[in-house]
Amino acid sequence: MEKILSQEKLREWVDTLDDCEVHAPAFADSVWNYARIEAGADIDLSHTNTIGSIKTFVFPQREVFFRFEKKDGVPLLTSTLPDPIPTVVFGVRPCDGRGMPRNDTVFNKEFEDPYYWARRDKLTLIGLACNQPHSPNCFCQSVGGSPHSEEGLDILMTDLGDRFHVKGITAKGVEIMERGRDAFDAVSDSDQADAGKIHETSRSYPQRPLGDLDAIPEALRENFDSPLWADMAQHCIGCGICTFLCPTCHCFDINDEVTSPTSGEGERVRTWDNCQFPDFTMHTSGHNPRGDLGSRLRQRVNHKFLYFVENHNTQQCTGCGRCITECPVGIDIVAVLERVSQ
Amino acid sequence: MVNVEEIRDFAAGLLERGEVKSVLGFRHGSASAFAEPCTLTEADDAASLVWDPTCLNNLALYLVKDRKQQAASKTPDTRPVGIVAKGCDSRAVGVLLQENYFKREDVVVIGISCEGTGVVDPKKLSNKLKGRTASRVTFDGADGISVSVYGDETETVIPAREVLADRCLECRAAAPALNNVVFGDSVEARDYNEPFHAAKEAENVSEDERWATWEHHFDRCLRCFACRAVCPMCYCPECVVDSTTFVVTLGTSAKEKANRIRWCERSANTSESAVYHLTRAIHLAGRCIDCGECERVCPVNIPLRLLNTKLEKEAFEMFEYQAGHDIEQASLLSSFRDEDPNSFIR
Repeated sequence: MEKILSQEKLREWVDTLDDCEVHAPAFADSVWNYARIEAGADIDLSHTNTIGSIKTFVFPQREVFFRFEKKDGVPLLTSTLPDPIPTVVFGVRPCDGRGMPRNDTVFNKEFEDPYYWARRDKLTLIGLACNQPHSPNCFCQSVGGSPHSEEGLDILMTDLGDRFHVKGITAKGVEIMERGRDAFDAVSDSDQADAGKIHETSRSYPQRPLGDLDAIPEALRENFDSPLWADMAQHCIGCGICTFLCPTCHCFDINDEVTSPTSGEGERVRTWDNCQFPDFTMHTSGHNPRGDLGSRLRQRVNHKFLYFVENHNTQQCTGCGRCITECPVGIDIVAVLERVSQ
Repeated sequence: MVNVEEIRDFAAGLLERGEVKSVLGFRHGSASAFAEPCTLTEADDAASLVWDPTCLNNLALYLVKDRKQQAASKTPDTRPVGIVAKGCDSRAVGVLLQENYFKREDVVVIGISCEGTGVVDPKKLSNKLKGRTASRVTFDGADGISVSVYGDETETVIPAREVLADRCLECRAAAPALNNVVFGDSVEARDYNEPFHAAKEAENVSEDERWATWEHHFDRCLRCFACRAVCPMCYCPECVVDSTTFVVTLGTSAKEKANRIRWCERSANTSESAVYHLTRAIHLAGRCIDCGECERVCPVNIPLRLLNTKLEKEAFEMFEYQAGHDIEQASLLSSFRDEDPNSFIR
């Protein structure tokens, strides 16, 4: 389904989703991030990309697995499986959209994660094509994506200046469009042509190149013991920025958080974890197989461009460029791959 | 004006004569318009050094890192390290010396006077550009920062005081007092803002509003620990907020490992994040030299510097103590004077 939506009618459409939780990018605290919006009037799609990725909607930083307590000496577990109301996210950039099927694979392939899927099944992603790259660190095309990729999205919107071209991709997306049917106009040939032209132009901007994607896994295998890693991680501070902001990083830790030691009350909680932290791979013996920052940088890069390719036949990176832009010391995954591939 | 050629020559000389094993400095980054840290080991590499208001990092962090590497190495390279240091950075080196983290002869401080200007705050710039990326940031030498925006060919000049880091606006000593050499003139501060201006402003609101503000910020914290990781004073081998024991030896019993108290859970929620940030702030009281790195690196822009300068202000007002200003002085928490306020000490 393809429709045209005027800038003014966008709000009208958003207002038809009043039984859903609607999130859209908002510029607050000097940064774009997703925020819940209460009415169509609050929507602003002039964003670059959000600092946090959409993974938060399906893989929140803190997920309670269950509550526990001791009643009459007997341990009692209470389910905390989430049952969210339908959630619609506007303004998803295509790189983030492409991250979602990769996360789906991780949380489905060997084990269907009920917490992830309880949220995922209720989530509708409305993408917004990038008419031009937002940052010199964008490289979606270098990892097989595109600024108007539909992968992972339920709807793709394209900004045609005074109006949006809106394309329903999945049944879920079409249903959300149907609800706002009065807001939409039919799409004309010239609208189609305009959208096509914008898409074409958006692909023509230079992006950071990765060379031959298929050659990268072998280069990484060959360089497993290379001294390059220590050199490239020389200034790494070992923080969690690159992975926490990444749309596809999904590693987690599970802890019991006891709130009342006397009654043994508490929660089992899943929280984001990060391969750059020293305790990520630490053994109880004190031995740490990824004991230095070089091997941890290698772990991050290999996971995305080698192990994930071996296991799932695609890169676990969609070229959003957050890990590059936000790194406090300039560690640059594109430059890293370039050096390793040389 | 600082002549970057002179810095390059000096660094190359140090390396050529073997007086240092490496020089910590800044070079153009591949990732942004801002400079990135570099470690030079060959004199020829000195040509890559840059100096401008995008040289944000406090490189003293890497002196700490070097020290840790030496401690872990069976054949440590104990030769001195050269470090390019702004006024604030040199005070970080000063605190590390006050705390005996290394010795004065272990470090060659290549001081650079910010000449009353300072460095750009990427957060303020992002705010000006509504999230768009700057592709070039230059200082016109007077009072303007020129900025080109990525994807837009135009160049805008923004008044320096609107995009300089808060700490630079409040700077009390732009030229490094602790140094082996200083480049640039010892220009008087420009009096953009009085010292502790931002902290005083923050104190001017009611307690309820203050708490609401910090609750909002702690709620947004991702607990990526970048603020801790980037801080040269956060050098503890294991931190009170870590959930595991890092210092495990053959003698560490299973019981010791199992019984480690988790003062702070991993959950990124208001209470745990408040515990983390307040603990860190208190551990930096009398030690923080206001390099502002914690605030700069925060991906969600939590104004962390305010917590630290508040305590810096307390240390100054109550004990006339300024961290890192005098390496001969005993550190705040390891000393007392008869005239110190409160009576419990006497």
